[in-house]
Amino acid sequence: MSDNSGLTLFLDGEEVGFTRGESIFQVSERHQKDIPTLCYDERLEAFGACRLCIVELEGARYPVASCTTKAEPGMRVTSKSGRLEMHRRVLLEMVVSENREVDVNELAGYASQEMTTLVDRYDARTGRFAGGKSGTSRADDPNPFILRDYEQCISCYRCVRVCAEQEGDYAISVMNRGFDTQITTEFGGLLVDSACTFCGQCIQTCPTGALADIKALRAKDVEEPVEKTRSICPYCGVGCAVDIMTKGDRIVGIQPAMDGPANEGALCVKGQFAFDFVHHPDRLKTPFVRNDHGQLVPASWDEALDKAAAGLLAAVNEHGRHSLYAVASGRAPNEAGFLMQKLVRAGLGTSYIDNCSRA
Amino acid sequence: MAQTNQQLIAEYASQEAPLLPLLHAFHERDGYLSEEALRATSDGLKIPIAELFGTVTFYHHFAREPGGHLAPRVCTGFICRMNGAEELLESLDGATGMPCSGRCDEPIPVLRGKQTLVGTSADALEPRDTPVPPPSADGVEECVFAHIRDPARKTLEGYRATGGYVALERAVRAMTPEELISVIDDSGLAGRGGAGFPTGRKLRAVLDAEGGPKTVVCNADEGEPGCFKDRALMDHDPHALLEGMALACVATGAERAFIYLRYEYPETDAGLAVAIAETEAAGILGDDAFGSGRRIKIYLRRGAGAYICGEETSLLNSLEGAHPFPRNRPPYPVTHGYEGTPTAVNNVETLSSLPPIVANGAEWYRDLGMGEHAGTKVISLSGDVNRPGNYEVPLGLPLSELIEQWAGGIRNGYAIQAVTMAGLSGGFLAGDDLDVTLDEASIRSKGSFLGAGGIMVFDETRHMIEVAHSAMEFFAEESCGKCFPCRIGTQRLTERLAGDAGPADFTMWLDEVADLNLTMKETSACGLGQAAPLITESLVRYFPEVVRAHVAGRLDDE
Repeated sequence: MSDNSGLTLFLDGEEVGFTRGESIFQVSERHQKDIPTLCYDERLEAFGACRLCIVELEGARYPVASCTTKAEPGMRVTSKSGRLEMHRRVLLEMVVSENREVDVNELAGYASQEMTTLVDRYDARTGRFAGGKSGTSRADDPNPFILRDYEQCISCYRCVRVCAEQEGDYAISVMNRGFDTQITTEFGGLLVDSACTFCGQCIQTCPTGALADIKALRAKDVEEPVEKTRSICPYCGVGCAVDIMTKGDRIVGIQPAMDGPANEGALCVKGQFAFDFVHHPDRLKTPFVRNDHGQLVPASWDEALDKAAAGLLAAVNEHGRHSLYAVASGRAPNEAGFLMQKLVRAGLGTSYIDNCSRA
Repeated sequence: MAQTNQQLIAEYASQEAPLLPLLHAFHERDGYLSEEALRATSDGLKIPIAELFGTVTFYHHFAREPGGHLAPRVCTGFICRMNGAEELLESLDGATGMPCSGRCDEPIPVLRGKQTLVGTSADALEPRDTPVPPPSADGVEECVFAHIRDPARKTLEGYRATGGYVALERAVRAMTPEELISVIDDSGLAGRGGAGFPTGRKLRAVLDAEGGPKTVVCNADEGEPGCFKDRALMDHDPHALLEGMALACVATGAERAFIYLRYEYPETDAGLAVAIAETEAAGILGDDAFGSGRRIKIYLRRGAGAYICGEETSLLNSLEGAHPFPRNRPPYPVTHGYEGTPTAVNNVETLSSLPPIVANGAEWYRDLGMGEHAGTKVISLSGDVNRPGNYEVPLGLPLSELIEQWAGGIRNGYAIQAVTMAGLSGGFLAGDDLDVTLDEASIRSKGSFLGAGGIMVFDETRHMIEVAHSAMEFFAEESCGKCFPCRIGTQRLTERLAGDAGPADFTMWLDEVADLNLTMKETSACGLGQAAPLITESLVRYFPEVVRAHVAGRLDDE
């Protein structure tokens, strides 16, 4: 391996260190340069589409995209200048000119405000470069999760790349070329007929809300502000970190935590979209036990546990300890799984224990 | 019996660069690319179906409806429009247009499957051989055209009778890569496809690059409007190209080479296939070149209609079967090219220049140029001149001399109004700036470049807004859609030249166009987006009054 010690370049006149393989963009991020970008997602391979992250490089005739340019020793980089800011503003004016709307609801997705924020930072709602609009929305796609509003699409291909690079699903791709470019599935069909697993990763990386969370947007007209609460997805033992979005006392949506140590922004369809049970009228809120007439009635935990213990004991007494078989939930974390086998082995005296993932 | 899906897949799956030939096989067998064929391809070559579908839609010529393969495609490039292409398109059943298809020195080409017909009306279309280049003026000595007018030259026998494969045999038997490269270095040869990178340096970079196998790729995707030189070279002197590629293989240590040929040249495809088979049968190329034990295998691959595939990294993606977006550079193909291996990508004319350079020496080649300029350049001259065609000129020749003396001057006695440079990519030259010599230094001093050497001539009767509009429309249609400035900018400039959109106030119109030009030029990811604004920039520079009238005309319409 090459020696990484002592590598430096000059960033806006200041000598800074870097590691071999880092891009100029990554080095600049570490130094809070706040370089604008729309096609960059740190989890994905740098793509170089939006050109907003251009920087000036001494000796180069034109600016270079900092995301796709590797840092080299001795480079002299300018991250902000009149020329760069002019180009960035023109690029954002161009982007605004191809879309129908600039403002989208924050419930649309994790990154959905990126374009709006940049457009406002660069004061780019000038109405210049007016002309044809790009993208054809797929309002006919009946899936209940992912809104495919391509009229808002700016062809940054983050969705296509996250689907391929992060998920390995390759459900979506790019069709046609130039201004007719369109995000598509195989043969232009519906998501449900494609390799899509509805993990929602495309929604969360979309910087314009073109791909949006249909379930979260149900609450867009609710007046209260969105609050986010960090938690852990309850579905399986992986422990994906999520931000639970609430308005008032109701959960309105889930966003993956980009800094979640187990998932780094990833979620599956259940963690992403299956939260309706929380407020569902049929949801069980207390244990139920059968009364003498065989009817289920609400009970306290003590009553319910006593009843269960009595039932298990009766079975052991009548049929022996190996008449029992326990299946631990795949949703349980290691600690709960440990306690379960402890109960079964030490308490009930059998080793018939398994996990629902293989049972 | 037509081959089954499985037979076709089995035939191609084990080959190098299998996707394009397999798709062409389905396209020709079924007359279109059916969903079934694409699903079979996806399974057979392990390409995700969504990705394969997207990639197929990128190309102009893959038909997705039955019968589409044989439906006529009429060239609606610049020069053909001047010759009535739009009327011809109207009069042909089921015909669609295609961008400049590289026959600007002939009547309008119509492509039907694997055959090209030419003519100006639906009832008078005929196959016709590629025109032989007109003789050089005053017998000026040529390099790549020296033997091209000899009809026997396209056969192996005829090629050998005029000195062919002598250079290769010497290189294979008696020269080290270093010796070969130093001859090329000394000749001053630079890339003739447009970028002008010194050829010796490129070959040395591949030779010196770590890793392998090394690869040579011939860029024969001659898609630049107004360029038709490579087709003449390949049709009339195919062995010169093969010998040049083989020399590049010796210089770099490569054992495999690809020709990436544009879809619109089906006759060239057939001719090259014959030439490759002849050389392999004769033991010149193949597994044991000249009995030396050296393997030099040339594969012929046909594109499917995409200008951007002439950009070398886009070409490599296309060859690999990936979506043909250009790659980010660095790394460059000399270290990370075809399938990530060190690859020399060179143009047809560059490679065809190698055999005479190696045979006759570096000094001979240098001296072909005028003054301090080394060597020659083939210019594809078309438009309003009396003798359009390919001319191999000494670098440094005055443009006016080419037009007046070599090509017989402007048609119908009109005055010249403007020319394009580098096909379209160099924008226009007009007025006093027509007083240039044909070499990069002179043309770059006017803000343009010589590039691949396509020059289209427009006389004083041509409407420059219309010319500029159809140029920008071409770039918009061919923009790959990856980077924002090119994808949106080419569209906005096209709309402004069409008069469909943009400010009605002249000053505001100029401001918008200037901002688009500058941002496209300085921030686009590849040459397409960087070059397209040269059209509008030079239009405004040379024809401000025409532009003013165009913008004012919009105001009148409203």
